[in-house]
Amino acid sequence: MTPTVTPASTDVSPDTPAFNRSRQAREAEVMLDHLVDDFSENPVAMQYFYDLFRKVYIQGEQVQRTTGPQVGMTCIQAPEELIYAVGATPIRLCNGSYHYDQIGADFMPAKSCSLVKATLGRLHDQEKGVPRIGKLDMIVNPSTCDQKKKAGVMMEDMGYPVHDLEFPNVKESEASRVYWQRSVRDFAVRLQQLTGKKITRKKLNAAMARTRRAQIAFRALHNLRRKAPSLVLGKDIFLVTNAYFFDDLERWTVATEALVEELKQRDADGFNAAQKKAPRILFTGSPPIFPNLKLPLLIEEAGGVVVADETCSANRMLYDMPVVDEWMVNHMIDSLADHYLKPCTCPIFTRNDDRRRRLIDLARDFNADGVVYQAFSGCQVYEMEQRSVAKTLNDVGIPMLYIETDYSPDDMGQLTTRIEAFLESIKARKRQARAKGVSA
Amino acid sequence: MNYFVGIDIGSTAIKVALVNQDSQLVGVHVTDSGSLFHKNAKAALQTLLDKHSLQREQVKYLIATGYGRKLFKEADDSISEITANAIGAHETGKAHGGVRTIINIGGQDSKAIQIDDQGTVTNFAMNDKCAAGTGRFLDVAAANLDIDLEQLGEYHFNGTGAPLTINSTCTVFAESEIIGLLANGHGKEEIVAGIHYSIAKRTLRLVKRVGIEDRIYFDGGPALNKGLVAALQDELQRELVVPEHPQTTTAFGAAILARGEWLADQSADGDGRERLDSRRGLSAEKGAQVVVVAAPKKLTADCD
Amino acid sequence: MAAMSEFGGQPTSRIRRAVNNVDLQSFRFWFQLTAFVLFVYGGYLAIDLGNNLPMFSCGYNREGRAGVCYLLPLQHQLARPWEQLFSAAGIAVLTGFGLFFLWFIVLNKGWCGFMCPLGTLQDWLTSLRKRTGIRYSLYGEKPFNALSWVKFVLLALMILIPLGIGGGWFSHDMGVPFCQICPGRVVLPLFTGDTTQLTVDFSSIGGMVLTGLGMFITGMFLIGSFIKKRFFCFFCPMSALHYLVAKPALLKLKKDGETCTKCGNCFNVCDMEIRAIADDIVKKDAMTDDCTLCLKCVAACPEPGTLKVEFARFNIFESTEEGFLKRMNKGAGCDAHCDTRKH
Repeated sequence: MTPTVTPASTDVSPDTPAFNRSRQAREAEVMLDHLVDDFSENPVAMQYFYDLFRKVYIQGEQVQRTTGPQVGMTCIQAPEELIYAVGATPIRLCNGSYHYDQIGADFMPAKSCSLVKATLGRLHDQEKGVPRIGKLDMIVNPSTCDQKKKAGVMMEDMGYPVHDLEFPNVKESEASRVYWQRSVRDFAVRLQQLTGKKITRKKLNAAMARTRRAQIAFRALHNLRRKAPSLVLGKDIFLVTNAYFFDDLERWTVATEALVEELKQRDADGFNAAQKKAPRILFTGSPPIFPNLKLPLLIEEAGGVVVADETCSANRMLYDMPVVDEWMVNHMIDSLADHYLKPCTCPIFTRNDDRRRRLIDLARDFNADGVVYQAFSGCQVYEMEQRSVAKTLNDVGIPMLYIETDYSPDDMGQLTTRIEAFLESIKARKRQARAKGVSA
Repeated sequence: MNYFVGIDIGSTAIKVALVNQDSQLVGVHVTDSGSLFHKNAKAALQTLLDKHSLQREQVKYLIATGYGRKLFKEADDSISEITANAIGAHETGKAHGGVRTIINIGGQDSKAIQIDDQGTVTNFAMNDKCAAGTGRFLDVAAANLDIDLEQLGEYHFNGTGAPLTINSTCTVFAESEIIGLLANGHGKEEIVAGIHYSIAKRTLRLVKRVGIEDRIYFDGGPALNKGLVAALQDELQRELVVPEHPQTTTAFGAAILARGEWLADQSADGDGRERLDSRRGLSAEKGAQVVVVAAPKKLTADCD
Repeated sequence: MAAMSEFGGQPTSRIRRAVNNVDLQSFRFWFQLTAFVLFVYGGYLAIDLGNNLPMFSCGYNREGRAGVCYLLPLQHQLARPWEQLFSAAGIAVLTGFGLFFLWFIVLNKGWCGFMCPLGTLQDWLTSLRKRTGIRYSLYGEKPFNALSWVKFVLLALMILIPLGIGGGWFSHDMGVPFCQICPGRVVLPLFTGDTTQLTVDFSSIGGMVLTGLGMFITGMFLIGSFIKKRFFCFFCPMSALHYLVAKPALLKLKKDGETCTKCGNCFNVCDMEIRAIADDIVKKDAMTDDCTLCLKCVAACPEPGTLKVEFARFNIFESTEEGFLKRMNKGAGCDAHCDTRKH
């Protein structure tokens, strides 16, 4: 059933040492080396994550997960608790590799989103692709953005069973809430068919407890980033959340909790991970996914520090927490559905009021000096929201830098110029404000 | 007397500016970048110092800017060309009632910068993906028309007919168009004017992204071209502030900033002055890995 | 600078922290039980808190009541002949109302959520339902909006009919019209062994209709409260009366719309199904006409400081991350770091 077309890339089996030199591995290695070596005094607890990415992305090792059916997710809107509750394991398929972007370009129009192209490119490589996740028993594809929506059929053509998870375009109406709750229930039924196990109150409770523990660990990390000067750099946080896509849940949680403890110790010791006057940046927009951590890397190499973000590869994935009023299965599933829809600030909705409010709240809460807004070329929803977000931020005195980019590495020089100019203007503004404050 | 130097290491040309403690421009020097940026930048600096009979030690602070700024280890600090251009324009603009918008057309890129009354950058837009609307377009056109760059302004004003419209959005395809127009018997003067208007129209779109606020300052090598200035003024419907040495505004800005930084250092802030380029102790070699000489990447119509 | 906490929000004193982390469900259960015992049996200890109480401490529970629900004397007073009502007797109405108002402004609609015996009864029926594993019902947005006005109509009728009696238009058989249809009159006396209210008054047509309706409504009350949380409160004229005079109250529910992430957790747990608590990010005063100030929303909010309870502008209870997590984990039956893969 799998297509026999060999992609143009150097496709070498993982058993040969030559794999490490394949384009995909090389790309990951260059980025990881920058992320680790360009900075001094990385947290000790980050070593777990650096090693993880090295093993999985560069050496191409099989991802170590608990056995059982695997359900791939193309978007964070798929309720992963349900997947855990039926005894399966979720894995997020969103891919950040330029190598796969080029392969996926065969399937998609020239001016389309690199993320979807890369995801398709990776899926095309079936079980030889990196990260090596083994067999995918199902892919759940929420109908969020246009390109993901249409990619579902292409995935089916590659031989994967795909479940179209119906996601509403409007979040405010009662009709969409009910629609989504039904859609999630249907998904639960489909999952039960997949594994043959029923979702009971006990199993769902256990699954929610596991993700809740991960969410608590992330929140602790999130809260510790408020500190000025910063205790940790944004590039490390992105690596941590990116690892959540594919790492074993409990291992990830324990490693993140260790990082939290280390950061608390750093705070007690008065340790700075960045200069006192380093511009504090709120990062928003198309999600940075390893190895495409280009922008956060450049921001922090240029002297800024990413203190908070509003992206689906970090904050949005783990921040919000569901509540349950009565612990019965159907209500728990509906509560989960609400949790995935209501606080979501993805630009695929008709209105973006919640996103703008969230950005202002985060900017104020974390004392951000400026916002960097990344949009992937071809991502129409992020590109279109740029103007309203810029206006909202500027109206409250927060400067914003809009950068349109894709996965190709050849615009690093141009991006550096823009980022540096932005950081310089922030510093100049702060100096001006201080001078005014002094003379006042 | 203390002196300060700003050096703008661009992809086509290296510009050096020398400024004294009273913020007066003492001298400038412009030379080709060639392929060995570092060596040529050092030589350019030396040439300028020799011209004014100065020793290197008299230069108290040196700031590098432009694409090659990270490579120049001799600099005390580096800053993006956007900020340097803004400072230079702000300083020069003081004599003209203050400038708020800056248009820079360089050899391979073009920028629009908006500044406030202190000279701080509030917004900017760049076109560094595509050669259309940059000095490169002028190079290509002049070569095709078999005239010198310096003559372009003259040709612009000598035309009898209306400027011809150049339809191609891309420099490379525009070449064919120009050849075609020549073959059809159109005059070089009208073609040159058409080229200038083509650049001016693109530039207008770029400036609109940051907002047009009086007064507007125009710099970069191509600003020497009076024909281009005229076309741009026509498109913007207002007069531009064009300095005498437009290629050196950015270097001048870097020199002014160098002076400012040195003076601030002298007054001993005490709380650990941060470097402008507060990169995390990157060596120049490592920095080189992220600098890529800009080249037209896409030949599709999204060049804007 | 204070040490960074792994929890968001401002650092607070130990007392504050303990209050914000309270197990609200447990606290409310004991509070409501105590209030129930007080108002239904307090009379045996000769406790008399007067005739102006702002919740259903039913007057028909003659032996046990520790005070009387204000609606009963109000309807009596309003039914006076007009010559008396609009002269000397009118003063009694005003002072009666004044006392009611003074009682009311202390707890605002918190009387409903924490003190009212009829409300407490509904919460006990809800607990019973939970034990059977039956899921609660919801109105949905349209029916909610359509039925929300019913309590105001009942309040209007409760005032107009007695006035009509005083004016000679209606017969005295229709006296205390609301009490005749109120389920509290039938159910609460049962707790002191008084079954005399379990009747239909056949002595007059007016009485027959109203008390017949009352039996029907009592049946509806018992079934409705079983399948829908706080069924009766949605239609309660006392609730309507509260809301009309709620502005100067001391206890207030406040929302900070700017920090609200619209997660909808508050709406999820709301017994009354009030959408505005989640959707409205503009109004600072978050209490609506249906709200019973049960504070479940505050307990369910994971964003520090977004929902707050204030007494005389002083913050006494607010949403915190730590509190939210403690309560969620308790509800789930695990401590903060349980590894429940063992299930």
